[in-house]
Amino acid sequence: MHNRNLAPMTVEEVLDWLEEGRVSPAEAFALFRTIGERVEIANSQPKETQEKLKDVLAELDGLIGLTEVKQLVREIQAFVQIQKRRTEERLVTEPLVLHTIFRGNPGTGKTTVARILGRMFRHMGVLPRGHLVEVERADLVGEYIGHTAQKTREQIRKALGGILFIDEAYSLARGGEKDFGKEAIDTLVKAMEDHKQEFILILAGYTEEMNFFLQSNPGLRSRFPIHIDFPDYNAQELLAIAELMLEKRQYRLSEGARRRLALLIQRGLRNDSYTFGNARTVRNWIELAIRRQAVRLVQKPGEVTREDLMYIEAEDFGEGL
Amino acid sequence: MKACMIIGKANVGKTLFAVNFAGYLGVSRLDIDFTTPNGETYRRTLTQKEAVEELTSPNPHHTLGLQRLEIQMPGLKGKKRFALLDTSGLTDGIPEESMVRRAMAQTLAQVREAAVILHLIDASSVGKEGAVEAVGPVDWQVAQFGGMRTGYAILANKMDLPEAAAGLVQIRREFPGHVILPISALLKTGFAEVKQFVWRHL
Repeated sequence: MHNRNLAPMTVEEVLDWLEEGRVSPAEAFALFRTIGERVEIANSQPKETQEKLKDVLAELDGLIGLTEVKQLVREIQAFVQIQKRRTEERLVTEPLVLHTIFRGNPGTGKTTVARILGRMFRHMGVLPRGHLVEVERADLVGEYIGHTAQKTREQIRKALGGILFIDEAYSLARGGEKDFGKEAIDTLVKAMEDHKQEFILILAGYTEEMNFFLQSNPGLRSRFPIHIDFPDYNAQELLAIAELMLEKRQYRLSEGARRRLALLIQRGLRNDSYTFGNARTVRNWIELAIRRQAVRLVQKPGEVTREDLMYIEAEDFGEGL
Repeated sequence: MKACMIIGKANVGKTLFAVNFAGYLGVSRLDIDFTTPNGETYRRTLTQKEAVEELTSPNPHHTLGLQRLEIQMPGLKGKKRFALLDTSGLTDGIPEESMVRRAMAQTLAQVREAAVILHLIDASSVGKEGAVEAVGPVDWQVAQFGGMRTGYAILANKMDLPEAAAGLVQIRREFPGHVILPISALLKTGFAEVKQFVWRHL
């Protein structure tokens, strides 16, 4: 057995060691894997080079609200970890099927959590790349016979090694039997068999629509063992999200601005909680307020202080917005 | 050119599979480029029958070095050209003969570049303790390596033998999460599925 501390660092060194009889072929393959992982990490974006699993989980914990989602993600993480350990010990393992349904209104954090899952699975060695390919009906469904399968397969190919995230997935079932959406579903189901363990499929959409979609496609339902519900944020959580977004951009809310924003959120929730858009709407408000603050400061007579540059005032949210 | 590589332990039937699979894909005269462990190359043209007779043997390590065969694979839409690479058998431990070690290093040097890896396992001797072809540590490592990439499949070979059915069950249990295709290189069964898999990953 070779000295672990002096393990070969490159493919060429591994091959030399193999030829010299210092490692067995089995050990050489194991070394290939560790070198491969090292190369892969080195090739990925620099900001992720130092990232570890605990950083990813810390980011998950940093999300506002989503208590049940976080708990479920932790459960999945523990399950995967234990199954991997059991494989190492050659114990019987549950098949690692991680295809997931995300149910919830727009702006409730589905895409954000999907991205975190991708990175989490990459760090756990479940997915080699862990990237997220985000698509919707138009990216999958074609215009003539055969076109859909081709388009869908292309997206699956792009997602290999990572996550294929289909937003508003229920729309694949609209249009009934003759619609090409069905062809997309069939292609997806086939890919889930052919590329087992090579990618994870996440279907996302409104709760009601997704429930109906799964009921009308029982074959599909059985292939998604994990269901995650994304509840709407309450007013308090939305305000916290807004403040976090501003903090990341190095802005702050004045007392008046905070009251105005809280009012706007309450009004939004009261008027139409279904299409309110949750965090996404809040983000749009914030971005609008930042632009308005800029206009206000440019027009301001006299000197603009550091304080001025940081604070968002009530008037930046406009009257009715 | 993309390569489809056949790897596995000694005596699991890699060469017989390579020759018969080439035949299945419509190649009757095989132009085979040999690379010896010392790096010398030469080409030979053989018929199917000659190839089976000369290149395969019931003794381990009959194939030393790489045997490369260019193939045009016909499919529903057009053809795909690829190189079928037959390789020297892998061992669990460190082999004594330097030639065998060098031949295995040749295999590993190619494996990272291959678009498709077909990992042959002898389904008839999965549990045969002490047999060179029985499933062992090198198979585990190859599977773990294969699991990190696309285009990796396990071919459970020798399904024509009576012990193989039980062996296949055991292979499925011991290599969960991998594509496992039962074949008989001798009787050329299961080749349609292999072709489909190779086509998809080229």
